[in-house]
Amino acid sequence: MNALTCSEAVTRFFGYLDRALAGEPLEELEAHLAACLDCCDKLAFSRQLDAFTKARLPDSPVPASLEARVRQALAAAKET
Amino acid sequence: MGDGKASATVAEAGFEALALPHLARLYRLAVRLTGRGADAEDLVHETYMKGLAAFASLREPERIGGWLSTILARLVVDRHRGSDREVPVGDLVELDRFSLYDLIWDEDPLPYSDALHRDFLAQFPDEEVRAALLALPDAYRVPLVLLYVEDMTYRELAEALQCPVGTIMSRLHRARKILERALWDCAKRRGFVRKETS
Repeated sequence: MNALTCSEAVTRFFGYLDRALAGEPLEELEAHLAACLDCCDKLAFSRQLDAFTKARLPDSPVPASLEARVRQALAAAKET
Repeated sequence: MGDGKASATVAEAGFEALALPHLARLYRLAVRLTGRGADAEDLVHETYMKGLAAFASLREPERIGGWLSTILARLVVDRHRGSDREVPVGDLVELDRFSLYDLIWDEDPLPYSDALHRDFLAQFPDEEVRAALLALPDAYRVPLVLLYVEDMTYRELAEALQCPVGTIMSRLHRARKILERALWDCAKRRGFVRKETS
């Protein structure tokens, strides 16, 4: 297992947050984080920014007419 | 021939029963992908029509929810493929290295804060963040929204968006970097930080 530099560790942050890292790349990052407070802070900010963005995705209640529109279209498609 | 028509009708009835409970979730996903209610309604309508046409090819009906989400996401990507929505994102090497964390640290726009980065984010009105999200090119926004909303793995995203896992990885990385850069630009516009900083 290789020791990562901070700049190498940073490139793995998003994969780590997305649970896409496994095996040696994950072990290397976790070993680096265990010894580097600065990278821990940076990773915490990336996590915070993800949550911040996710909480601000556009949202809107479902229009009451949408289900009827889809049902009608499906019914019309059946007849053709 | 009559039997064929009867079995098609049974399949269509099955489609309605399985697919319609996902309507509210699909609409919310469509709003999150497009930001516009009218576009979202059209997308959901189109998703159901495509779903009905392809229903016979769905091997695991219990997975219809994810299957419909994939149809909807592909419609968004296909709708804008090759159009001017594919805006350039600038120097990729520079983008990949962009660090909002470092810039906030260097600029220290809130010198009395004991939680500098958190307090920096708290400055932004929600609509500015939404605008930055919606300004992302589709190729970057769609996988990011699917990751956030549908909690898909990279492999599932690659299958849904019909591209290699490596492309998904780099798009998710760059989508977040573009957002970081947009927030920094917004901070400069709003006077949270000095305009001459990078």
